Amino acid sequence: MRWFTFFCMLFCISLFQSTLMYWINLGTAAPDLYFPFVVFYAFLTDVKRNTVANWLTGMSKDLFSEGSFGMSSVLFVAIGFFLWSSREILFRGHLVTQILITFIFSVIYNIIYTIHVEISFHSLCFSSTLWMIFCSSFYTAMVVPVLFWIFNRFQPTHKLFFIKGN
Amino acid sequence: MRTSTPSFSNLIKHPLATIITLFVISLALLFLPPDVSSRVKMTCAAPMRPFQWATCFCSNKASAFLDNLISALHEAHGKRHLEEQVLQFKNKLVEQQDTIYKLQNKLRTLSKFQAENTTTKKSPVPADIIGYDTSNFRKSITINAGSKHGVKPNDIVISDNALVGRITTVSGRNSVVQLITDPATHIPGRVVQTREQVIVEGNATAFCKLKYAPRWAKLKKGDDIVTSDIGGLYPPSLPIATVVEHETKSGALFQSVKVLPRVNISKIESVLVITH
Repeated sequence: MRWFTFFCMLFCISLFQSTLMYWINLGTAAPDLYFPFVVFYAFLTDVKRNTVANWLTGMSKDLFSEGSFGMSSVLFVAIGFFLWSSREILFRGHLVTQILITFIFSVIYNIIYTIHVEISFHSLCFSSTLWMIFCSSFYTAMVVPVLFWIFNRFQPTHKLFFIKGN
Repeated sequence: MRTSTPSFSNLIKHPLATIITLFVISLALLFLPPDVSSRVKMTCAAPMRPFQWATCFCSNKASAFLDNLISALHEAHGKRHLEEQVLQFKNKLVEQQDTIYKLQNKLRTLSKFQAENTTTKKSPVPADIIGYDTSNFRKSITINAGSKHGVKPNDIVISDNALVGRITTVSGRNSVVQLITDPATHIPGRVVQTREQVIVEGNATAFCKLKYAPRWAKLKKGDDIVTSDIGGLYPPSLPIATVVEHETKSGALFQSVKVLPRVNISKIESVLVITH
C-alpha cells in the first residue's frame, strides 16, 4: 500500500467533498466520497493499515465538518474493522458486492451519526431524516463504480484481491 | 553496515494496539471541550483553506460562465417579453416616485433620530464562501474572513439582508459559519403577521421548522419570520424564513410548521459578517 497515494487521494476527496458537492447533490443529499474510500481500504489492506487509513479518513471528514471531532473516525475504524474481518466470506472483487456493501454500511453509519445528532440537539425530523439517509446512502453506493475505478488506477488492487493473507 | 530508516508501516506493528490507540485518541477528541476542539480543527484545516478557496473560485467562475451561456440562448426569446415589462415598469415608476418623496421625509427624520441615539456600532465584513460541510447531517460553511478582519465568534452572517447563520469558529483568515439549517441552530424569532414568538430550528434539510408555535396562532403560507431581540445574540427584525406548510395535530400543544429560509445557501457565493 502506498501511503503517499493514500494521502493524495484523501486530499482530493476532502477538497471535492468540501467545495464541489453542490454541483452534484440531489436536494440536500450529497454522496459521501469518504465512505467508498473506507470500504476500498477495508477490502484491500491488512488490519493495521486498514485501521490507520480509516482513522485518518474519519479525522479528515471530521476536520471539515461542524460537530464532534472524532465521531466519524470512531465509526470508520469500527466499520473498517468489521468489513476487514468479514471480507473472506464476501466476493469482494465483484462490483455488485462493493456497491451493496457500501450501501448497507453507509446506511448503518448514517443512522448512528444521526442518532448522535438527534441525542445532541433533538431537532431532526424522523421521516425526512430517514429519506435523506436512504438518498445519500443510495447516491454514495451509485458512485462506487467510478470511485473504485479511480482508486484502482492509483492503488492497484488486482493482485491484492486474490492473494491470500492480505 | 546498512541501517534502514523506520518506515510508517513498522510503527504500527501490533494490530490490536493500533486499533485501541486510535480508538482512545478518537474518544478523547470526542470529549474535548467544544472551543478546544474547534481550535484544533481550524489549525489542522488551515493548510487546506487556500486550495478550498481556489477550487470554489474556479467552480463559481465555471458556474457563471455556464449561466451566461444558457442565458444568452434564452435572451432572444425573452427580449420581447422584457420590452413589455419595461413599459409596465415605467408607468409604475411614476406612481412610486410620489411615494418615495413622502417616505424620504420620514427617513430624514428617522436618520436624525438614529444618529443621536446610536449606542452600538456594527460594521459589515464582506466574505466569500470557500467551503461547505462534509457531512450530510450538519450544515456549515467556511468563509474567507477571520479574526484579522475583525470577525469574532457569535457574529451574525447575512446575505441579501436575510439571516444565513452565526460564526462558531474563527481563525486568522477563515471562519466557520453554523447555518440556520444546522440541527444545532435555535433562533428566537417572531412571525411578522401574527406577532407570535417562535424558535426557528434547523433539521439538516433545506427547510427549518418552528418550535413552540402555539396551536391557536393563525399562521398561513407565506407568513414571514424575523429575528426577535430576545437573547441578544441576533439583531431584531432580520428576515429568517417564510412559512411554507403548517399543521395542527389533535392533542398536540404546538403547531408543526415548516419554513423555508429566505436565503438559498447553495446559490450564494458571498456573505456579510455583521461584527459587533
